[in-house]
Amino acid sequence: MKTEISSWLVFRLLLRPAGVFEELSNTRPDPHIVFFRYLIWLAVLPPLFAYIGAANFGWRIGAAEPLYLPGGDLVIISIVYFFVLLFGFVTTALVAQWMAATYGARHSLGIHFALVIIVAAPLVAGSIIHLFPHIFINVIALIPILIWSMYLLYRGLPIVLKISPERGMLMASALIGYLLVAAVSILGISVAMWGRGIGPSIGV
Amino acid sequence: MFSVIWAVLGMTAGVYVAAELVWPTLDFGQQWLSFGRLRTLHTNGVIFGFGVSALMGTAFYSVQRTCHVPLFAPKLAWFCCFAWQICVLLGGISLLAGWNGGKEYAELEWPFDIAITLVWVCFAIVFFGTIARRRIKPIYVSNWFYGALIIVIAMLHIVNSLAIPVTISKSYSIFSGAQDAIVQWWYGHNAVGFLLTGGFLGMMYYFLPKHADRPIWSYRLSIIAFWAFVYSYIWAGPHHLHYNAIPEWVQSLAVVMSLILLAPSWATMINGIMTVSGAWQKLRTDPALKFIVLSLAFYGLATFEGPMMAIKSVNVVSHFTDWTIGHVHSGALGWNALITFGTFYFLIPRLMGTGLYSIRLANIHFWMALAGTMLYILAMWGAGVSQGLLWLSLDEIGELSFSFKDIMASMPPYYLLRFVAGLVFLAGALLMTFNLYMTIKGRRTVQVQPPEVRSHQV
Repeated sequence: MKTEISSWLVFRLLLRPAGVFEELSNTRPDPHIVFFRYLIWLAVLPPLFAYIGAANFGWRIGAAEPLYLPGGDLVIISIVYFFVLLFGFVTTALVAQWMAATYGARHSLGIHFALVIIVAAPLVAGSIIHLFPHIFINVIALIPILIWSMYLLYRGLPIVLKISPERGMLMASALIGYLLVAAVSILGISVAMWGRGIGPSIGV
Repeated sequence: MFSVIWAVLGMTAGVYVAAELVWPTLDFGQQWLSFGRLRTLHTNGVIFGFGVSALMGTAFYSVQRTCHVPLFAPKLAWFCCFAWQICVLLGGISLLAGWNGGKEYAELEWPFDIAITLVWVCFAIVFFGTIARRRIKPIYVSNWFYGALIIVIAMLHIVNSLAIPVTISKSYSIFSGAQDAIVQWWYGHNAVGFLLTGGFLGMMYYFLPKHADRPIWSYRLSIIAFWAFVYSYIWAGPHHLHYNAIPEWVQSLAVVMSLILLAPSWATMINGIMTVSGAWQKLRTDPALKFIVLSLAFYGLATFEGPMMAIKSVNVVSHFTDWTIGHVHSGALGWNALITFGTFYFLIPRLMGTGLYSIRLANIHFWMALAGTMLYILAMWGAGVSQGLLWLSLDEIGELSFSFKDIMASMPPYYLLRFVAGLVFLAGALLMTFNLYMTIKGRRTVQVQPPEVRSHQV
């Protein structure tokens, strides 16, 4: 079984996902390669877009004037954003690997990192909308992308992990449960940071 | 069946009030169509009409099968069914007429409070009477949850509704000030806890293993989770009153108990997911199982989000925002409604002795329910976080930067999104109603004898 995966994985995933699923199902990628060649760079992009957008245009949260944050705070928030994403990617892969035993799926860590790429790639590409930091625009733009990501997860998981569609459906739903919790944790962490003075100045 | 009707009516009221938040003139100047009255109709309709009817029906169904005896006092059970429907129907009309006790989720006035108590006592007599006559010694875990629902809701309802009647349509609570607030949220949160969580867990513990055709993954874990759940939930109510004029230690205790609550909640979720994971072949033919699987994922989300929002440093931003509304609906749509839909798809064909009219429609309903719930949650997260930030924003001289009116003026885009989400979810429920109606049409109710006891092991 091949351990290499082609360099254009992410781009082909966005354009022709079915082919990528097939290819991944026949490879046994090396986790180090997947992590350092793809995942780490995917985690860099959203904070970078968010930094550029927020520094130049300020966040529009529905009020009259945009909210500008001090430069130092923006750097801290962007770095935390990067590490939170990276932590999310790695734990999702580990959780998926842990679940694999229950659903009779493939166990190699590399393939689970690849699974994370499948779900994350459209969202990371969509995070370019952070360049226009208006909360509602971001919500509206990311919803269809999120639906697409979920579709790729339900569709791709059974092929990549070589399990029946029914078991894939169960495992994908369990993973969605984990991802929803991860998403709401990011909200909670952000809010707790604001309360500690990192971020917008609020009267707490 | 009444539950399905209340689901549709309650959800329609919900969608209508969501629309009123986008287009405020939708009440056409009619008092009974105003937000304040329709919103209570929505909450009471879905909780007491849809939720309790489904719980009563499934409790009566499952207690006979887990105890291997027919219902104790079946006529009283029919009385419960119809009397409850009359309570909800007349109660709904009274809310539209403007009768309102002023306590959230306990708005119904004193005549209804007394009627509800009577029906509830009958419910308890039938349920515990059946348990007392059981032919299997251990009491199955679903009955523990249903039993806790009946006892705790009775206690909460009676204490919280204690009031001095003044006229037929108005009474005043015997509690006052901060005490009234604590009693109200002791009721409010535990109604969520023991009705929307505990009651529906009873439903899950019976119907999930039945669907999956295999026993609960860990029975021991389910019992431990039950006692931990019952013990810790009852303390968590005051987290609705953070930074208010109630004792600091009561707030801190509520935070700690809310955090502890995560353990039994997740133990139950893992138990459910592990039970279903071995029954994947069933997914090919059984659309109902999908609903239950997904409901467990949302149960996991809601039971994590709740304790997180109970932490004071998160609550300071999230309180008084639409984030709370989003949280409630991730539980109510994602967990309660989905597991109930799954149960309906399982139960009704079985009661009619026939197959479901259309599996394809049920599958479409599944995706609509998922899409509606996700859209709803995302819209409310966006709206809630924006509101939280804006409420608390200060200008250079330390005064609030934005007025309430300015902030609300920026909300319609989110409310429009929420309205669309509600419409999608409601349309799915209508599809289900049609599907179940076609299943029932022209079928005779089958007479089923409870199975014989073969051994004393469950």
